Amino acid sequence: MEKKIYISGMHSGQNPCAGVGIARSLRKAFPNLHLVGVDHWQGSSGLHHEVVDDVLLLPQWKQIDSLRHSEYLETLLDSGNIWISGLDVETHWLAQNFGTHPNLFAPPQAALEKTAKPGVQAFCQLGFQVPESISAFLSDSEIHHFLRQNSWQCWLKGPYHEAKRTSSWDGFERSREAMKKEWKTSQLFVQKNVIGHEESICFSACRGKLTALIHMQKRLITPEGKTWAGRVNPVSRDFFEEFEDIIEQLKWTGGGEIEFVRDLDGKKWIIECNPRFPAWIFGATLSGVNLPAKMIAAACSLPFVEEIQKYPCFTRVVHEIPAKEAVGLPIPQDPSLVAWSIEGKGKGGAVQAALIPQLRQQSETTKMEESDQKIPPLYTEEIKNHLKSFEGETPTRIHLHDWTFSRFEALVTGIQKAHSHPKIQIAYSVKTSATDAHLKHAQKCGFFTECISQMEIQRALRTGVPPKEIILNGPGKFWPLTTEPVKDLHMLFCDSIEEFDRVIEIPDLARVLGFRIQLPKLQSRFGVPIDKIENFQALLKCVRRLKNRSELGFHFHMPSWAIGMQRWKEAMKSLLTWCQSIEQLTEVPIRHLDLGGGFFPSDLEKINFSWVQESVRSALPEVKVIYFEPGRSLTQEGEALVSRVLDVRKNKDEEISEIVVDACIAEMPLIHAYFHRVFFQSQTKTDEKQFQPLQKGKTKILGRICMENDVLSPGLNIPASVQLGDLVIFGDAGAYERTMSYDFGRG
Amino acid sequence: MILDGVKKQKPNRFENHFQELIGQEEHYSRWIEHPSSSILHHGKSCCEEARLWFLSYARSMEGGVSSQYQMRPPTWLSQVFEWGPSVWPISWCQVFQEKTIDCGVFAALSREVFTAQGFEVHPAQALISYNQTCTDHWKDLWETGLRNLESHQSGDVFPWVGDQIVYHEICLLEMPEEKARIFDSTFGYWFEPQQRVGFGALLSIRSECPRILEWGDKVLSYGEWVDL
Repeated sequence: MEKKIYISGMHSGQNPCAGVGIARSLRKAFPNLHLVGVDHWQGSSGLHHEVVDDVLLLPQWKQIDSLRHSEYLETLLDSGNIWISGLDVETHWLAQNFGTHPNLFAPPQAALEKTAKPGVQAFCQLGFQVPESISAFLSDSEIHHFLRQNSWQCWLKGPYHEAKRTSSWDGFERSREAMKKEWKTSQLFVQKNVIGHEESICFSACRGKLTALIHMQKRLITPEGKTWAGRVNPVSRDFFEEFEDIIEQLKWTGGGEIEFVRDLDGKKWIIECNPRFPAWIFGATLSGVNLPAKMIAAACSLPFVEEIQKYPCFTRVVHEIPAKEAVGLPIPQDPSLVAWSIEGKGKGGAVQAALIPQLRQQSETTKMEESDQKIPPLYTEEIKNHLKSFEGETPTRIHLHDWTFSRFEALVTGIQKAHSHPKIQIAYSVKTSATDAHLKHAQKCGFFTECISQMEIQRALRTGVPPKEIILNGPGKFWPLTTEPVKDLHMLFCDSIEEFDRVIEIPDLARVLGFRIQLPKLQSRFGVPIDKIENFQALLKCVRRLKNRSELGFHFHMPSWAIGMQRWKEAMKSLLTWCQSIEQLTEVPIRHLDLGGGFFPSDLEKINFSWVQESVRSALPEVKVIYFEPGRSLTQEGEALVSRVLDVRKNKDEEISEIVVDACIAEMPLIHAYFHRVFFQSQTKTDEKQFQPLQKGKTKILGRICMENDVLSPGLNIPASVQLGDLVIFGDAGAYERTMSYDFGRG
Repeated sequence: MILDGVKKQKPNRFENHFQELIGQEEHYSRWIEHPSSSILHHGKSCCEEARLWFLSYARSMEGGVSSQYQMRPPTWLSQVFEWGPSVWPISWCQVFQEKTIDCGVFAALSREVFTAQGFEVHPAQALISYNQTCTDHWKDLWETGLRNLESHQSGDVFPWVGDQIVYHEICLLEMPEEKARIFDSTFGYWFEPQQRVGFGALLSIRSECPRILEWGDKVLSYGEWVDL
């Protein structure tokens, strides 16, 4: 019987597998080899390539019987045939179900474990760093925090392949649900994005002996992130020798690829190790290093001489080839089915995810459930206490004053720990509170009040705030339109040059005048857009007019919860540079700096006020006061929305699949923008389980209105005893969740 | 750990190829004698306002996702400013009034940004090969661009475009261990020291760094044109 080389993973589409490249490389080196292309899907286009002599089409992965397939492979390999795996998931399946064989070119289980994402620990000694990551099954608050800290520039990744960009909370939740459903694994993780050049280390090994190793710099990358052109470089001797040791320890056999990013400072960040050749492997062959051929030459003791290429670069082209009648093409699905079908979506067209349940049963013991939320007892207790005597109509809000005021006190304590100069002054933002109690308490804490309209000023005055403790901001500060605005304010920031021209004509309007700056690159509609030099020059003229008339201040406001703390700090430093330039050019000292608000509750207390003070002091020594305008961070958690259950729906197994409550997105317009802690209170049970925080579960919570997006939670563990009239309480429903709510469907 | 080995390959009649090309270029002697461009400062507020605006603007553009790195090449320059003819000499107060800026202005602006980041950066010049079909278009582009320039008719426009070679201004950064990196500030990428012929190939480079630096397997010394 003629010995054959079986090569799996023959799809050659937008997201190609390595099979065609492996086959072409082997054919180039050994024209007489008998090559068999293997795949599990008739639409795998590489099966039609002339490079393969035969084709082996197997059933779709989900129809494969493990035992039968193992026996088949064993017979094949025992006969002297060779199998080179070109599919990620197949290598894992082989390691778990089949084990090793001298003629099988796929890494053993131990090697896969040591090269698994995100750590890829086996190769870290080569000078690679690993981007920070966390499990996608931690609590929502921990994941939200991770995403904020990394400026919403992260990836949600699976253990084998597939990665989805994560740039918003609702986007993350959608991707997590989709990947959970597809991959059925608890190994999903969120990883920080690293900016840099994408590069690869590609290697081949035969039974623990390294046979070839190259470095490839990607030159063109498709929108799907796939290599389209590259430059192949040799590696240094030292690197080769160190790599050789690792391969020996891993007992690696087959191809492999380490994908990494070289960041702007030149540091190398490992992204993943693919346990098979990359799809661009024939590019390496064309560039002068035929890795599959070196591997097979070593395995079969075949003579092989490499061709040296002068220009070690390659690119891909798209070209048509005749389809083989023996393989055929998939019959087009009926158009009505196409819209619903998921067939052919996976890498290689063969829906590799269908293998995951078999893998998971053997290798995973953890449950695919998110960690429980860690809720401070004080928060839970206050809600519980409110509900003891609750009898009112729903939906309605309850104010958690103890919790809210503890947030105020924590901020005061934080400021007290900071330096004394420049002074930190808090200005509580009126628009984030629906209750005067907050305004009064802010005043007690020594906070100023930040208003965005004459109406808000009037409200502040009514609660006893004096004008000299009011900061006026925003584009509508003279609304309702008036020629006699409230005067003697502490500070006013103009939103435009035109507004300044009017403000400067009103005597005694505010002790401090200045501008809100619209920083370049940060998308905002507010403030003077100084990305145009003419606006900058106009602003300089205005500042010069202020000399000896009023103290000068500048203001920027970018919500850190949306752009992340890292970007917020960068924006602050950028503001300092602009202020330095303005001060230098006008010789008007900047005395006041307002750094705005928009902090997520747990971020504000983590601000290093001393760092802010030191940065400001070093850039702008004349600044006397630094202002923060927290609103959301103080009061977002301070209200809870109480709703009643209107309907309970069950599936065929009598599990509660959905409940409908009388709250809706009109009361919680930001329900999809961040995570909310949710509680349940039975109206019939009297034991201690009457009240409980709800963790993640399978019951969807639907709102009362007829809008498709009125889904208040994708899944919580609603107690099986739930009845109509029971209470579901949504925490974190204060600040904008309250003030931006609207009437809808109330008759 | 050194990842990148340097492939030692003998040039394939590169010298002959280069000599053939420069033999046909009318402006070759001007290119190799031309000093690197710099932006004039009038010593008054007109130029200082423009310069500080640019540096503040640059600081903002570095923010965001790349801010965590020490090296923040001003790749944004090519997104913000349009490449085209500039009339020399040019001053800070003129630069940002122009519809287009040439590679000399791009390089000078980039040097300001790198310097503000704390890097030692120097002017550098390059000769790059293209084909005549391409260079003919660039000659047209420059002619059209110059016709549209209203206010600066009295200056000089450097004949950077040849038939198959173009003159280009770039930035050289001094890196640790006497190494150099070469940044194309006009198009926002890093040149590589590997020799190549053909479209877009870097043929020769001149550094204005007063120290001798290694760039790949090349040695760059002040004022000397080094062929790749």
